[in-house]
Amino acid sequence: METGLLRVLLNPGRFFEGRMQGEPSLKIPALIALVIGLIGAVSAVLIVNITIAMLPADMQAFGMIGAVFAAAFGVIGGFLNWFVFGIVFYLISMVFKGQGSLTRTLEFVGYGFLPQVFGGIIGAVFSYQLLSNLTIPAATTPEQIVEFSESLASTLATDPLAQIAGIVTILFMVWSANIWIFGMKYARNLSTRDAALTVGIPVGLYILYLLITLTGWL
Amino acid sequence: MALAGPASAGPADITVTAFSLDPPVLMKGDTGTLTVSVANHGAVPVAVRSARLYSSGVVALNDPYLSVGDIGAGTNRTFTFTVRADGGEGTFFPPFVLDFRDGAGSLRYPIPIRVEDTPLSASVISKPDAFSEGRTADITVRVGNPRPNAASGVQVVPQGTGFTATPTGGFIGALAPDASGTVTFNLTPAAETDVTFQVVWHNGINTRTTDLVLPIAFGEDKRQADPVITNVEVMPEAGRYRIVGDVMNVGLESARSVLVTPGAPATPTDPFRVYVIGTLDPDDVSSFEVTFKADAGVTEVPIIVEYRDDNGNRYTATRMVEVGGAAMPLEEQEGGIPVVGVIVAVLLALGIAGTIYYSWRRT
Repeated sequence: METGLLRVLLNPGRFFEGRMQGEPSLKIPALIALVIGLIGAVSAVLIVNITIAMLPADMQAFGMIGAVFAAAFGVIGGFLNWFVFGIVFYLISMVFKGQGSLTRTLEFVGYGFLPQVFGGIIGAVFSYQLLSNLTIPAATTPEQIVEFSESLASTLATDPLAQIAGIVTILFMVWSANIWIFGMKYARNLSTRDAALTVGIPVGLYILYLLITLTGWL
Repeated sequence: MALAGPASAGPADITVTAFSLDPPVLMKGDTGTLTVSVANHGAVPVAVRSARLYSSGVVALNDPYLSVGDIGAGTNRTFTFTVRADGGEGTFFPPFVLDFRDGAGSLRYPIPIRVEDTPLSASVISKPDAFSEGRTADITVRVGNPRPNAASGVQVVPQGTGFTATPTGGFIGALAPDASGTVTFNLTPAAETDVTFQVVWHNGINTRTTDLVLPIAFGEDKRQADPVITNVEVMPEAGRYRIVGDVMNVGLESARSVLVTPGAPATPTDPFRVYVIGTLDPDDVSSFEVTFKADAGVTEVPIIVEYRDDNGNRYTATRMVEVGGAAMPLEEQEGGIPVVGVIVAVLLALGIAGTIYYSWRRT
């Protein structure tokens, strides 16, 4: 399987061409989404831990509940991304008269998320690096928690490490988009040009949004 | 010269015509010069054996005139005595006695001499509400003459340690009875001390002094500039803090050369290590901005306002600002940019670009 997954990354055209010979299966794409969700959950728990450390001792139990929710949303987020991108690509490819099942589209989009596993790990390392340098003051009032949260957001937005992490996210998104182009080409039986447009439009908009957020224009 | 009445005894033609004392009013212990004039109004000379001044409240310091000789017809003769006021205060009448020859008797004339010990009075008529170290203050001293006679050569000399005064002495000169004169000094204290203004004057040939002591105690000047920091906002940034706020001068005097800077344990950093405001007039307000680093354990840092008064004396006002409620800034990486992160990003970009290129080549 490793050889197969490596082919997704290095030679997606041949990989998807080969996958088209069999029945659609969502097992491995779901596993990829789960791994991405777990990595996202770790990052979310890291952030929530900061808030928990800030809370008074008697309120830390509530913080733990928050951490559990954050982890759950992180896992769900992995699957949510998968479905949203899959459905968006499916709908756009309809404009180019694409033919092929939604299941096949979801399968190939799921494979395309594989680079995000590496991106997520590197992103989590950056987040850990960023957050471990923070000293958490003890907050006693909700106002102080709000003040801290705002200053944390300001710090994360202006920190060079956070900006580099954003650029890394974009790089892996570009890699995923490259795989999705091949995936949509076979899943929806599109020309290379139409597949590139199907993937390029939403991913381009998403990358534009990330860039605007990074540069602070929003 | 005071006019005298007729002689009480002796040949009728000899009379004391005038006498004078310099100074006109003595103080206790003073030495004065008494001059007595005698005239012979007759047609023949009168032989005089001696002229003396007897002690009574005042003492004649010089010897009596023991061989006076004749006083010619129609002529005057002057006798001078040095006297010292050895008694108390009051008016004394030491007798001036002329002894005539040939058993002609003597002339006895009591000379009124006034002794009054009242000194010149000195008072501070102008001084600041409070003194400060190194701050120059104007002090005006008034010297009055309550004595019945004039004082000459009046001067005021500040004495003591722990201060400098300009001028080092003030000259008033002669002071008529009930007159006064003023001297102003620029006094700069270096420490809390007593300044003695010594009034020196002359009563005739006698030098007299009066001391006026002014305690210099440091205190807060009610009018001095008073910068107050308000509207403070702490903004944590990557690797540092930024504090913005307002400084208002709520004093009654201008604050000059106003600087705002963060104090220890904060370490000022560019771009606003120090914020220069300049002159802040009373009731004026100015915004400021400072940037600094602080260690992780620091919860509050002092913001220091430095300013000067019109005389250039430096003052500081400090306000503690809490930074513990805000997120600690990140430790700034070397050069401000995380080099390792940049290298990782560049390698990833190259790797992904290569992978994408490879995937299209194999298609």
